Amino acid sequence: MRKFSVTVAGLLLAAVVAACGGGDDEPSADKAAGSGSLEGSISVWIMDPGSPKIQDVVKQYATDFEAAHPGTQVDIQFVPWAQAHDKFVTAIAGGEVPDVAEMGTTWTPEFADQGALVEQQAIGEGQYVSSLVDAATLNDKVYGKPWYAGARALIYRKDLLEKAGVEPPTNWDELMAAAKAVEEKVGGGVDAVGFTGLSEHMYLPTIWQAGGEIATQDGDTWKSALNSPEAAQAIDFYASFYKQGLSPKAAVGWEEPDAQTAFANGDIAMLIAGGWGYNSIIATKPELEEKIGTALTPAGPSGKGTAFAGGSHLVQFQESQNKELGAAFVDFMLEPEQLNKFTSEIGFLPGTVDGIKASGYLEDPQRKPFAEQLLDHSAVYPPSPKWGGLEGANIFDGEIQKVMKGQETAQEAVQNLASKMDEEFAG
Amino acid sequence: MATAPAVVSAPRPLVVRRAVNRLTLPVLMLLPALIIIAGLVGYPLVRTIYLSFTDTGLGELIYGGSTWVGLENFKEVFANDRLRVALVNTVVFGTVCVIGTMVFGFAVALLLNQRLKGNLFFGIAVLLPWAVPAIAASAIFKWLFDSRYGFVNWALVNLGFDSFQDYAWFAGRFSAYVAIFITVVWQSFPFIALSLLAGLQTIPKETLHAAAIDGAGPWNRFRLVTLPLLRPIVAVLVVFSTIWDFKIFDQIYVMAAGVPDRAADTAAVAAYREGFALSHYGLGSAVAVVLFLILLAFSLLYVRLIGKEGAE
Repeated sequence: MRKFSVTVAGLLLAAVVAACGGGDDEPSADKAAGSGSLEGSISVWIMDPGSPKIQDVVKQYATDFEAAHPGTQVDIQFVPWAQAHDKFVTAIAGGEVPDVAEMGTTWTPEFADQGALVEQQAIGEGQYVSSLVDAATLNDKVYGKPWYAGARALIYRKDLLEKAGVEPPTNWDELMAAAKAVEEKVGGGVDAVGFTGLSEHMYLPTIWQAGGEIATQDGDTWKSALNSPEAAQAIDFYASFYKQGLSPKAAVGWEEPDAQTAFANGDIAMLIAGGWGYNSIIATKPELEEKIGTALTPAGPSGKGTAFAGGSHLVQFQESQNKELGAAFVDFMLEPEQLNKFTSEIGFLPGTVDGIKASGYLEDPQRKPFAEQLLDHSAVYPPSPKWGGLEGANIFDGEIQKVMKGQETAQEAVQNLASKMDEEFAG
Repeated sequence: MATAPAVVSAPRPLVVRRAVNRLTLPVLMLLPALIIIAGLVGYPLVRTIYLSFTDTGLGELIYGGSTWVGLENFKEVFANDRLRVALVNTVVFGTVCVIGTMVFGFAVALLLNQRLKGNLFFGIAVLLPWAVPAIAASAIFKWLFDSRYGFVNWALVNLGFDSFQDYAWFAGRFSAYVAIFITVVWQSFPFIALSLLAGLQTIPKETLHAAAIDGAGPWNRFRLVTLPLLRPIVAVLVVFSTIWDFKIFDQIYVMAAGVPDRAADTAAVAAYREGFALSHYGLGSAVAVVLFLILLAFSLLYVRLIGKEGAE
């Protein structure tokens, strides 16, 4: 799930569509079908959604597409998120790339920078969620089309907060007060929050909430902005829950899915999670549905409750032998009615504006916070080609874990992180 | 003058031809295996060594054009805290695992060597952990050591050790290593135990009887008769175990991922992470080469020890 969200962030891998240039007239995003000239076969890598039901939705895309275009073959492969980045690297290095792939939004600039991806030219103004297009942009060129997106919000157990006598928190102070009340009054081994050591999408956004920045751009180069009082305050706040025993003892080594499992088991009362996490918790424990409430991420001292906008791009690879067919398939997947079959199952929002309108998300009170969070209270990480490597190497987790364990101060952690980031940005 | 060289030269080609004939067949028969070994072992080894002297990143790996940087990567391996810690972890934790595996393997072998009822069954059962893929075993053990739902904490709490309620095994380096140690030993003792069992069964009963008649107790019989006779086997097994335990990957990759600051990573995992996660292929290769040299040194040491024993 952790990688999952990472991928999500990568947003718009523009499908190869445009790059193949020549082809029949410019593939229009809503009618991929195009002329009858499509033939041959393509391989498509989709990140494994983990559920057979959602896998079937994707497989159905291939079946429907093949039926609409006789003579074509679409071969879908599911790749687990945790191995996906390595798999892309080895595929590119070995020259055995898929024709089309889903790619985490934070990875798209990295692979585009290597020249592995096809530039996407048919990106219309206002057609896609704009932060996702930003995430796919490198040197003013767009390399991915946004497929879906999401942002984490607060989910909580209504019954447990009631027992503790607190309202759902809307800012940091209320969150801390609510956590202490839960720890004191609920008992039964229930911890207040599931703040873990291996989930950068939980702790990095707290820096925005405190009014800080993660990195700033100067022309072509990026510079870390972590060495700031705001960032130190944010990391200190995040770690203080663990230090005060308000998060499970093992959580320092947990990834996001572990926290979700704990929430589904009733071991924690509040969690920062996305709509996909909410969906998977409900799917595991249907009886929890009426006990779970959702709200926007609590706002920090800056007054902002910014969350990370993650998602997936659909991209095409330079070495693909059938870019035309790949482009047509990407556009087919992005048609609003096709798109929503997938996003509604997985709990993400569509990456296209038409798709969001068609989704009905904004009318569902339980899911509305996730949509609002994405549309109005979200941001993306710096779209630097180095970002994917920074995440892959886990440079953030280690320092946060040390703060959680009391082995260093938040101030030291952000200083170390800033120098590590600058080293990577420079190298 | 004409005859002399003829006489001398005639046998020479014959000798050479004979030697060639004698060699041709073996060489031809070995060739397929040699080609496969050269391709699967030789090439990656040479390439890794080459990469370790370059600044190869993802771009250079795909399109070429890396720069020769001499020993820079190796300096970095020893200057970088994280990588140095990983190398120390490898040697210390690997050695502890070798000792644990040998001791436990020996104990099981001695038990199986007793003529007990059901030993055939136990002999087969002992093999089973060896048949479990390392990655599956690691996932299972990680679950057994889960803080809230794991069997280990449940059992310890029920035995009266209340401090193990919700004990987080993987939140610290030492406790994580305890859990990983148990996993590694569980997985690797079967081979050791069965090899030693085979060795034990070659020891003539008469020798042990004679020792018993001379008044040697069970401990002295083991120490003065069994152990010396098994020394060659033990030496080979120690070499094998060292190679296995120094390059363990799966168990660390799966179980130590949550240890704060990855403080429990070993060299193999660090090399992988440096190369594939950070795209520093040159530096990653340098870590791999250092690990290779460490293993080579240990292996040569043992091989020499075995050789000396034979000469004595």
